[in-house]
Amino acid sequence: MTVGNQDAARQEHRAQMAALLATARDEYVAAARAGRGGRPTQVRYAAAVDDLVRGLAERAVQESMHPFVVCALGGYGRRTLCLNSDIDVLIVFDGPIGPGEERFVNALLQPLWDLKFTVGHHIRELKEFDVIDDQNPEFLMALCDLRLLTGDVRLFDEVFTRAHRGEETRAGRLVDVLLTLVDERYAEFNNTLYQLEPDLKKAPGGLRDISAIRLIRSLARDLFVGRSRPEGERLDEAEEFLFRARSVLHVLSGRDMNGLSHELQEQVAELLGVPGPDSRQRVEALMGDYFRHARAVANALAWTRKVARPPAPITEPGPVTQNVAVAADGIRFVDPVKAVGQPAWWLEAFEVAIANGYPVSDDVRALIQENVGRYTADYFMANEEGRLRLRAMLYPRPGLSARLSDMLECGLLGTIFPEFEKIHCRVIRDFYHKYTVDEHTLLTIRNLESLWHPTSASRARFASILNEVRAPELLTLALLYHDVGKWRDDDHAIESVRLAEPMLARLQLGEDDRQIIDFLIRQHLAMSKAVFRKDFGDPETVAEFASLVGSEEHLKMLCLMTLVDIEAVAPGTLTPWKEDLLWRLYVDAYNHLTLGYADELIQKNQSDRVRVLAECPDDISEEELSRFLDGLPRRYLSVFGLSAIYRHVRLARGLKDDDLHLSLEKRDEIWELTVAALDKPFLFSNISGVLASFGMDIHRGQAMTTPDRLVLDVFEFTDEEGFLRQNSGARDEIARVLRQVVTGATDVRTLLRGRERSLVLRRRREVDISIHLDNAHSRRYTVLEIVTADVPGLLYRISRGVSDEGCDVDLVLISTEGRKAIDVLHVTKQGRQLDEHDQVALKQALVRTLEATYEAH
Amino acid sequence: MKLIKSVVRPNKVDDVRDALEKMNVPGMTVTEVRGHGRQKGHTAIYRGKEYNVSLLPKVEIEVVVQDSIVEEVIKTIMAAARTGEIGDGRIFVLPAEHSFNIRTGEKDTP
Repeated sequence: MTVGNQDAARQEHRAQMAALLATARDEYVAAARAGRGGRPTQVRYAAAVDDLVRGLAERAVQESMHPFVVCALGGYGRRTLCLNSDIDVLIVFDGPIGPGEERFVNALLQPLWDLKFTVGHHIRELKEFDVIDDQNPEFLMALCDLRLLTGDVRLFDEVFTRAHRGEETRAGRLVDVLLTLVDERYAEFNNTLYQLEPDLKKAPGGLRDISAIRLIRSLARDLFVGRSRPEGERLDEAEEFLFRARSVLHVLSGRDMNGLSHELQEQVAELLGVPGPDSRQRVEALMGDYFRHARAVANALAWTRKVARPPAPITEPGPVTQNVAVAADGIRFVDPVKAVGQPAWWLEAFEVAIANGYPVSDDVRALIQENVGRYTADYFMANEEGRLRLRAMLYPRPGLSARLSDMLECGLLGTIFPEFEKIHCRVIRDFYHKYTVDEHTLLTIRNLESLWHPTSASRARFASILNEVRAPELLTLALLYHDVGKWRDDDHAIESVRLAEPMLARLQLGEDDRQIIDFLIRQHLAMSKAVFRKDFGDPETVAEFASLVGSEEHLKMLCLMTLVDIEAVAPGTLTPWKEDLLWRLYVDAYNHLTLGYADELIQKNQSDRVRVLAECPDDISEEELSRFLDGLPRRYLSVFGLSAIYRHVRLARGLKDDDLHLSLEKRDEIWELTVAALDKPFLFSNISGVLASFGMDIHRGQAMTTPDRLVLDVFEFTDEEGFLRQNSGARDEIARVLRQVVTGATDVRTLLRGRERSLVLRRRREVDISIHLDNAHSRRYTVLEIVTADVPGLLYRISRGVSDEGCDVDLVLISTEGRKAIDVLHVTKQGRQLDEHDQVALKQALVRTLEATYEAH
Repeated sequence: MKLIKSVVRPNKVDDVRDALEKMNVPGMTVTEVRGHGRQKGHTAIYRGKEYNVSLLPKVEIEVVVQDSIVEEVIKTIMAAARTGEIGDGRIFVLPAEHSFNIRTGEKDTP
């Protein structure tokens, strides 16, 4: 045959191959468009490609070359070839690769490339299989699906034998490698399958997971003998669904695209014949199907992993409480039969798991799933103990979000918080969110718990705020509900507030707590808007935002909520740049609330004042209430609820000089002393001194003074030495001593000197003394901010030092952060701000006082 | 063609984007940046501790436009990003020789 004839024959053969391929592809496209692009279609297409490769190999054989085999690997080896997938082939020669072998390879691969295949090819000599290269895990995995396409059958047997030689000893390592690859892949997807635009191949719950499950079960087959697979037929069903959807994606995109993007979801739903009255509902149904299948796959992989690589045994298995025990696979019920009718135990199982960092066993979750439908939310919150336990369970700590996720999967979370069910697997289509609404919510909680162990200095700033929040479990509760309103399309924050109301009623939270949760849900986007859409370099913007927030407690919680909410949108959404902006607004607003609030007094037409007047009880007249409120800073209405305000009004009734009206109440472990009096020198320092003299550790508090000399001081403290706890007449005794000190009958310094002598010498100097004075934050006052180590009697010493310098203390904010005390005092001297000379003198005096304080301790 | 790089306040990005879209400027690249010009940063105080914020968060917006509309685009950006205070940002205009559409390979198309 002449060279010209050879070329013509080659061209003719290639044309035949192209026609064969075109026919196979046309059939594939037609099947995929009819929603039938599943396994049978892919197997048929793989067979057509097999024929093509065989035909090309046949014509590529050279006169002088060693025996060879051409094999399929990976997905192609498994005969599941999607329309535009790569084809992975292995070519092995039974001898050295010379010019003849190279010509064969070129003659085989070149036409495949010309036909637009992406070919993953491995060319080997047989002797290379004498020792299997352990350093290429992907190739080792691919060899597990080795399939002969054409060539010398005896050589294939040899390759197969050598490729699988020592597999028993290598299997363990292969399983480890495979699981590592799974972990790396999961990390790319933030370890969640609830992706709004999932990659059907690589995402958790995708086709790669199915391959991994089968491979692990094959490699470690001995471990699976006699075990019934919990997923039943669901794995095959999931694979078929994923195959069909993936086929549609390949057809629509014309390439190897596996991402089920927003743009293509409508068409995929239509071509797969997903039912629904309109395109939106068809997409939601499609994604619902996807999440159901992906969850089945991910659960099957998790079970396979547990069997192949059981988790480290619990060090001390056995009963943890009367009802639950810990076993090798996590928390179990002591008496599973009885547990069926004991829903309180279900919650207990999760309480114990969260508190101790244990998983909850599959058996417990299955038992709950089977029986939870018989109960409602009211059952779990029927008594105070149940309500308090539920609240305590939500305290953010490592493992909380994972257990909440378990509770969601088994139906317990949706039973206790039925409003949350509205967003289960809810798909919202926007350019930003990457996860379903429920998964986004659980991720916010995961981000919150991770703040306990910050990974950067910039994140540690926010962690310090979390440390100061009084009731972080309320933040978890607000996060759980912040997006439940997204089940509808309108303003979701308002709808979320509406849906949270029944939950707040069921939990019977106090007024203050309800108000915090209401605020957080309603305003959960406010800080984000202020940071990114407003110029908060403008003091008015900061003042406006601070006014919306109202108190530093609200600010701290809202800041944390904003941080974790942004972070849960998608990986990379919370950049260091955004963190910095958020922190700047937090600092500016914090300073405004704590240093710059003095000049903003309650106004007549202020909305929250109007509300206080409108809901005023009968025993308080409008005139009395107005007289009380006039001259107080606006902050007062933000930090106190209605019942506290009315209590204060009653306390301030009929005050005369030297009168001291007080109330002392206990909330959990915290005591609250409220004092109303007419202002006089040393009043604040005397009260704080008396508390210190009884061994009380003041954590928070505030003092306010009106132009009419009304003083309202509120102190929150712990009874460190048990004086109130151990003495029945302790309250009266504290009141008696307070009155004696305020009237001058007793000198508080005498009381404290005795105490200081009895204190064991201890020195807490790990926190530097920081004293800052400025006249910029207020027109009327000099703002004195002191940050220093907290010791008993500190507040007394500071306020005494200020009074000793001839200054008047009108407003005080007291807070503590761990061992650090942060006290802000608004002071004047002879009715005016302190000049520079006075400031220097006061600062020096306070430094001396504090140094002496630490020496004394 | 010109590459117009604008460094603006973060809260002005939406305004600039909307204004450019109204002009039918076909695309833009937005990048979070930090820096300072005359607005040298400031000293902030938190809990009595001073810290210096020397590099301020800004946003850089890049657009490539035909020479004929460069002046109009600059005026539009200025109008949308200006507050009148120090820190409004800067606009840089650079020559752009060619642009290519990576998908289609087309050259110098908007």
